[in-house]
Amino acid sequence: MEKYRTTIRISAIAALALGTSTAALNAQPRTNMLHQWAQGSEAAAIATLGEMFEAAGGVWEQTAISGHTSNTLAKLRSDVVSGNAPAAVQLKGPEIAEWDETGRTANLDDLAAAEGWDAVVAPELISVMKPNGHWVAAPMNIHRVNWLYSSKAILDELGLAVPTTWAEFNAACETVIAAGKTCIAHGAADWSDATTFDSVVYGMDIDLYRAAFQEADTEAMRSQGMIDAFAQLRRMVGYMDDGINGRSWEQSMTMTMEGEAAFFLMGDWTVASANLAGYVEGVDYLCNQTPVDWGGTGYILNADSVVFFQQSDPEYVEGQQLLAQIIMSPEFQVTFNVAKGSIPSRTDVDLSVGGFTQCQQDSLRDLKASVAEGTLVRSMAHNMTVLQKYRGAMMEVITEFVADDSVTPEEAAERLAEAVEAQM
Amino acid sequence: MRWLTDHTPQLVLIPTIAVTIAYVILFSVWTLWMSVSNSTLLPDTTYAGFGEYVRLWTSRRWTVAYQNLFLFGSLYVIGSLVVGTLLAILIDQRVKFESVWRTIFLYPLAISFIVTGTVWRWIFHPQTGVELALHDLGWISARFDWITDRDFALYVVVFTGIWHASGFAMALILAGLRSVDGDLVKAAQIDGASMPRTYRRVILPTIWPIFLAVAVVLLQFAIKTYDLVVALTQGGPGVATTVPAIVVYDLMFQRGQIAQGAAAAVMILVALALVLIPYALYTGWRARQQGDHHG
Amino acid sequence: MAEAAHIEFNPLATGSRRRQLTSKTIIYLCLTGFALMYLLPVVIIFLNTLRPLDAIVREGFIAWPESVTFSHWAEAWGSFCIGGTCEGVSRFYQNSLMMAVPATILSTAIGLVNGYILSKWRFKGANFIFGVVTLGVFLPAQMTLLPWAFVLGNLGLSNTISGLVLIHTIQGLSFTTLFCRNYFINIPDDLIKAARIDGAGFWRIFRRIILPLSPPILIVTVIWQFTGIWNEFLFGTVFTSGANQPITSAIVAFSGSGTGERHYNVEAAAVLMSAIPPLIIYLVGGKYFVRGLTQGAVK
Repeated sequence: MEKYRTTIRISAIAALALGTSTAALNAQPRTNMLHQWAQGSEAAAIATLGEMFEAAGGVWEQTAISGHTSNTLAKLRSDVVSGNAPAAVQLKGPEIAEWDETGRTANLDDLAAAEGWDAVVAPELISVMKPNGHWVAAPMNIHRVNWLYSSKAILDELGLAVPTTWAEFNAACETVIAAGKTCIAHGAADWSDATTFDSVVYGMDIDLYRAAFQEADTEAMRSQGMIDAFAQLRRMVGYMDDGINGRSWEQSMTMTMEGEAAFFLMGDWTVASANLAGYVEGVDYLCNQTPVDWGGTGYILNADSVVFFQQSDPEYVEGQQLLAQIIMSPEFQVTFNVAKGSIPSRTDVDLSVGGFTQCQQDSLRDLKASVAEGTLVRSMAHNMTVLQKYRGAMMEVITEFVADDSVTPEEAAERLAEAVEAQM
Repeated sequence: MRWLTDHTPQLVLIPTIAVTIAYVILFSVWTLWMSVSNSTLLPDTTYAGFGEYVRLWTSRRWTVAYQNLFLFGSLYVIGSLVVGTLLAILIDQRVKFESVWRTIFLYPLAISFIVTGTVWRWIFHPQTGVELALHDLGWISARFDWITDRDFALYVVVFTGIWHASGFAMALILAGLRSVDGDLVKAAQIDGASMPRTYRRVILPTIWPIFLAVAVVLLQFAIKTYDLVVALTQGGPGVATTVPAIVVYDLMFQRGQIAQGAAAAVMILVALALVLIPYALYTGWRARQQGDHHG
Repeated sequence: MAEAAHIEFNPLATGSRRRQLTSKTIIYLCLTGFALMYLLPVVIIFLNTLRPLDAIVREGFIAWPESVTFSHWAEAWGSFCIGGTCEGVSRFYQNSLMMAVPATILSTAIGLVNGYILSKWRFKGANFIFGVVTLGVFLPAQMTLLPWAFVLGNLGLSNTISGLVLIHTIQGLSFTTLFCRNYFINIPDDLIKAARIDGAGFWRIFRRIILPLSPPILIVTVIWQFTGIWNEFLFGTVFTSGANQPITSAIVAFSGSGTGERHYNVEAAAVLMSAIPPLIIYLVGGKYFVRGLTQGAVK
């Protein structure tokens, strides 16, 4: 009884607050964005979003949850359960569709139509942002996952060229190891092991990648192609040093930048961190696509996006419109992506101005080429393809394979299929 | 009025009983229900059967985590008790600056698991810690990489856990040692028992209920262990140091499999029951025994 | 009484003088060895707060500082960027105090009364209730997150410090009731009986007999609760955000491998600062903690 009375009282207060706020003359668009970019350059990038939002007359609040991604998602879930769905959340890939199915996301169709998003957003992203034919998310960027960073010092010293196939890569590594250096800089974690494996499977057999990592086809996971891919991964673990466990990806990056390790396989956020740390493209490191055995332009795509949840407070509804508008504006896309190492999600932005580096410009060039060649895929490791339950199950197998030498490629392929089947 | 005074205890207890029962029982029942429901991204109350338990047990990560719970739990509890006893006995030798020693051994309990895990990771990791320091000193071949070795990493977690908790065990056991009847000890000495023998045969056996009490408190830490592992090894290498609480959290929140996460939480409670029910039976038995003595 | 008897017992009084000396040496060597290992982590964090970042990155965390600066402490306190706001840890301190102090007092006070009832006014079902309360000690926090979210949402306490106080009070009740009940059970029932014959009621007995005997266990529960609540991060992270976060949740960022560049020295200073209140509690209260335990907190 007492509880009900409290609830009634609280709703009365809420209604009152609502009434006064709508009645107020200078109602302001407000937002509170939940995201996980709490530290360093990413926090700085998101701060620019806040500044632009405030400059446009909005009241900006953010909830930055650091540490594990679980923390952000735990926060989101508990907010939704407690009836306070956040106005804007950083969510990606299949999660957008999943949350859309709960019927709690806000529809951005009117804004999208007015701003012409369908015409400017990269086609590969549109299906992700419009899971049921309606815009529910605004894409902030396009990350390329299949970058191979090479230490220019080591390549020059050993007279090596940047490898373009996995056979060349292995040969280069043999040379590097023989010269007493580490070939691959790596920090083991489920996501980084899977990032490497993304490139391996994709580079060896693009159809296998599509079947196994985009369609979660377990027969493909059991195929000889997957066994070969695991064998290549095992080989590559041998090209890493002993300290991969517990090493962060920035530490691995530094190894390649400092000329301690020849290669580093990682997404383009590396570009932002490396440049911020004072390393120079073309001088300290080179960026090329990870090897492909099928001789074309490869592009594994990852994108960050913001999903909007339905709000009752008109100020927050207005804030969502304003925030989505700013996120999609060319000005924000340039500032944000220059800082983050990625490229804009709009294809109509000119990267030759505004401070984009050569690697970033190459990224856009290759994106367009791979779209033309029909080789563009989304990243499994970065949660752009299958549901989290399959992705999580696959990453467990991959990271365990990297950690445990005694698992054979055959066993790994079988385990991969079984782990996914168990979650079906 | 008379009734009111007679029932004061019950009346006073009612509010807290209500919240505690709501908290413990309702939350547990809710979790149990979720584990057999259709919940995925958000809680859903439709019944779906026990399929999630089956799925959970086919996951290698979960079986490893469950084994780790028992291995880590027992080593951590026993280790903390052994180290705690040793420290308590050392301090019990009428050492000088007793309070200084005590404070040094006790303070880790004030440090959060997150901080404990982070700092020990720095120390244990070959690239930042002891191994690097030894290399810098010129001992190039020195190796100290347990934390990155899948066969040893769990013992690093055990060690760190013991570092954190043994001071607590020490404090309670020391308290116990001080409460032992002096006559008993004198009698043993008169019989010519040596010091280690006196402790082993006379003193420690009389305070063993304290060991049990400490074990229960530590067990509670062991079962809930989450932040320590996350900060220390993130469950790795591979899945070597994963513990159930991490799996529960990942399933429920990272992967949007609330039902399976709830099933995992229920399994934690089952593990707990496996340990606590014998303990409860024992305390009940002991209480009856003592009752007989007094009566 | 037990202590008086204890003093007469000197374990080292056995054996010759020479042997006594060797034993003493061994004892102090052991104690020193353990003490070094126990102090090592805090010493390492402290030294790293003084070192420049490039030295840490180059030489790792275990190295003697070549140059010393205290500027990282000032930065950590007032201007370091955490969660997108560059005001250091200072702004989170108040939240943690506002959370830990009331929750500690409430859970201890209620636990005291609960323990008193469950040990001295036993009634039918008391054991069952005690069992349920004890079970509460073991519930994993991850499991209770969503139910708590539901409760807080319905009470209108989402993203408030009051919400955290509520959670920590209720979860803390299990511990405090357990501690207090096990302590009071050692107080002779005759004392209570005598008081009742004299006509003393429930509260009078509590005030006149139980409270005066409680300080030892009060200290134990207060220390336990305060450090536990202060160091908890999961509820703080999930149920509060931005300026309402307690300090432990705010600094969790430093434990993960974030994707930005790391300022290990400033982070170390922030971590150490966040640990100061519980450390003070232990340094000041540690003596009473052990004394409280000595007087039968656990039996």
